[in-house]
Parts: sequence; C-alpha cells; structure tokens
Amino acid sequence: MAKQNGKSEVYARPLRRMLVGALVVCLLAIFVFWRIDSPRAERFRAAVVDAIVPQMDWAFIPVKKTVDMIEGFQSYARLQKQNQDLRRELQQMKAWREAALQLEQENAKLLDLNKVRLDPALTVVTGMVLADSGSPFRQSVLLNVGAARDGIRDGWAVTDGLGLVGRISGVGRKSSRVLLLTDSASRIPVHIQPSGQRAMLSGDNTSLPLLEFIELPEEVRPGDRVISSGDGGVFPAGLLVGQVVQTRDGRLRLRLSADYERLEFLRVLRSQPAETINSPATLIGPLRSVPEASLEPQGVGPADG
Amino acid sequence: MAESTASAHWSYRGLYLLLVAIVGFAQLLPFSPGPGTFPGPDVILLITCAWVVRRPDFLPTLLIAAVFLLGDVIFMRPLGLWAAFVVMGTEFLRMRAVAWRDLNFLLEWFMVAGVLSAMTLVNRLVLWVIFVDQPALGLTLIRLLGTIAVYPLVVLLAARFFGLRKLAPGAVDRLGHKH
Repeated sequence: MAKQNGKSEVYARPLRRMLVGALVVCLLAIFVFWRIDSPRAERFRAAVVDAIVPQMDWAFIPVKKTVDMIEGFQSYARLQKQNQDLRRELQQMKAWREAALQLEQENAKLLDLNKVRLDPALTVVTGMVLADSGSPFRQSVLLNVGAARDGIRDGWAVTDGLGLVGRISGVGRKSSRVLLLTDSASRIPVHIQPSGQRAMLSGDNTSLPLLEFIELPEEVRPGDRVISSGDGGVFPAGLLVGQVVQTRDGRLRLRLSADYERLEFLRVLRSQPAETINSPATLIGPLRSVPEASLEPQGVGPADG
Repeated sequence: MAESTASAHWSYRGLYLLLVAIVGFAQLLPFSPGPGTFPGPDVILLITCAWVVRRPDFLPTLLIAAVFLLGDVIFMRPLGLWAAFVVMGTEFLRMRAVAWRDLNFLLEWFMVAGVLSAMTLVNRLVLWVIFVDQPALGLTLIRLLGTIAVYPLVVLLAARFFGLRKLAPGAVDRLGHKH
C-alpha cells in the first residue's frame, strides 16, 4: 500500500513490516487461546456461527429448493424404473411389517410377563439442517434448534428417524451443531448385536466409520446389526446405528443406517441424565459393627422397584 | 486498468468480499453433508492469492486477516492459526508482487504453488507438534494439489470477468505516485 516515492518509503517499509508482524502475533495469540481454553473458544465460535448462519436462512432455502427441483426433474426420467423398484420393495416391506407386528405383540406380552420396566420414553425435538460444516475435513451440520427455545444441550443424540446420525456438540441460542459419526473426532460406544460384543465406533472422515476395540473380532460377521450401548452414560442405549461391513483390507467398518445423503430433518433425542445411586446398600454396605437387635430381616432392597 | 482511483480500490475490495461471501455460502450449502470422495480446492485462498499477486494495493493485509479469521470460526478450523499463515504467505507474495510484474505466468504459478505448499505443511506440522486432531495426510495433499491445479483457472476467470490484471510498469495513480 505504502508506495510513496522518495524518503517516506524508507520509513514506511519497516513500519509496515512491524505492523504485519503484530497482526500475525495477534492471530497466533488467538490460536494459543483456542488451544489452552478450548471450551470457551468453542463457545465463542458457537455464538459467532449462531449470529451469522441463521441470518442467511432466507438465501439458503431458495437455493436449496431450486437445486432439489432440478434434481427432481432429472429423476422424472427414471420414474418408470423407480416406480417398479418401489413396488417390489413395498411388497417385501409388507411381509416385514407383518413380522414386526407379530413380534411387537409377542414382545409386549413377554415384557408384561416379566414385569420389565423400560426406560421412560425419550422425547424428541425435530430440527431442520441449516448448513454444512463448509470444510471437507469436518463432518458436521448445523440445525435450526438451539438452547433458547428448545433447550438443546451438548451431548444429546441425533437420529434421522431410522438410525443414529451423531450427537450435539456446540449449542448456540438459535442453532446447534451436530457432530456426525463420520467426523474424525467422533467416538461412541456401540454394541454388536447377535454376538453381544462391545466396540467403539470411531469416525475417520470416510463414509464407513471404523469399529475399534472389539473384544473378539472373530465372532463379528459382516451384516451384524450395531446399536448404541449406554456405556459411559452419555448416550441412550439401543439406538440403531448400522450394519457391520468388512473392507478389503480385512478391517471391520460400519455402514450407517441413517441416510447421510439426505440429511434434511433430524430428531434430537432429549435424554435424561441417568440417575446415580449414591447411598450405600444396607445389605452389602461398609463393614461396621452392627448391634444385634438390628439384624432382623429388613426387607430385600431391590424388590421394591 | 488506467483508472486506479480510490473508488476503484473500494469497488475491487467490495468485489473481493462479495466473491468470498458467495464461495463461502456455497460451501455451507447442505447438499451432501456426509463425507465426499475428494476434497475440492480451497477457492477462497486462490482468489486471495490471485488478487495479491495482481493488484496488491487492492487488498489490505487487515482485510485478509479478517476474512480468514472469520473463515476459521465458521469452517471449524483451529482459530487463528490458518489465518496467521495466510497473512504470512500473502505478505511474502505481496513483497515480491512488484518485482514479479514482468514474470511469465508459469513462474508465478510455481511461486504461488510453493507458498501454498509451505503454508499447508507448516500448518500441519504445528498442529502435529501440539497434538491437535487433524485430517489424514493424503486428503490434505489431494486438496493442496487440487488447489494448485485450479490456480490458472481462477486467474483466467478473474482477468476475463473482473479485469484483474497486473499493472503495466510505470503506471501512475491519481496522486501521481508510481506503482
């Protein structure tokens, strides 16, 4: 900028260099702050995104709709074939539905006989996907539900109605960010179904996240169902996540049940924090000298639930 | 570009901001939120480099810092680090912009490619040293190569549609200063 002739340039150049140096130091200071006090920096980031991105809603929606419309026109060409495919699929689904209804009745009967108490029903908040993460290395989407109106909190699970999509990480007043299972920072504990193996599902920026820390990998087969396990108390247990697949290099990965190509409306599951048990059991409690008189039968603890 | 008045400066700055806003907006559009196959080029960075090499006087350093810091916040990058490297890289280009005025395009492309590679690698190195999670090396390199490959296209489009060209040697601005 400062390109004056003559003498002033002699001073302008070093001064400019110093100012640019100061600017770089400022930016690096911001980086150090981010590294040291990450939660606060991320809250700041959520607040900035919350202030900017929902404002652009009016522009996002028409563009998105237009592109969807063009895609819709393209799919008219394949309508005939699609229709046939759908009919065939519907036929198969009817059979499954019948099976599911019967199993549901049977399940209800058995639960009733066993007097099993299920988790209190999870309630959901449905939100619309506002924006992408904007970077090819970060897998997250922004929802239009936030802390102020909808009471969204960090860590809640998000599904697309069928399968798990990710979890809330970063909440603003009117928006919240969903960390997808494919992000390289995503780790959730899962349960592989018929064999009952526990594993960790860790995203690695590919569309098939990796299954790690399986106790007995030889008992796991491609096609096994994978559901979330409640380990760690962060996630509700029993949400469908996907199916095991084996890649060519022999590693076990997961094909997600959620349709990642069409993330449009997502459900955030309000999960109640698990109740903690903090009083010691009277039956097997700490050893102490008990007076003889109190050794009469006290009623068995767990039976009153 | 005979006219290089203050209003032209501001209109080019506005144009730069508009382009950056459009590209950023397009990146945020939720078309396929899942992981894609290959990461695309970093168009905002390319626009900035082309601008700085062509007309350094149109693009103040502070504006670049502000744009990339905001980009760090919105695109979920570590705050500040990438912006700092972009400022340093563009400053390197800016210092040599006048000297490179007569350079042919191939050499300019080489230089920009060198600066972009250095920025990317040092950025990775710093993040690696302080244990920040980062994407796979292969993906980063693919993105870098894609970015370098698209540079001539960005320059061509900028010259064709926005008249962004290097100043002729000895051109004089409104106040009589030589560039």
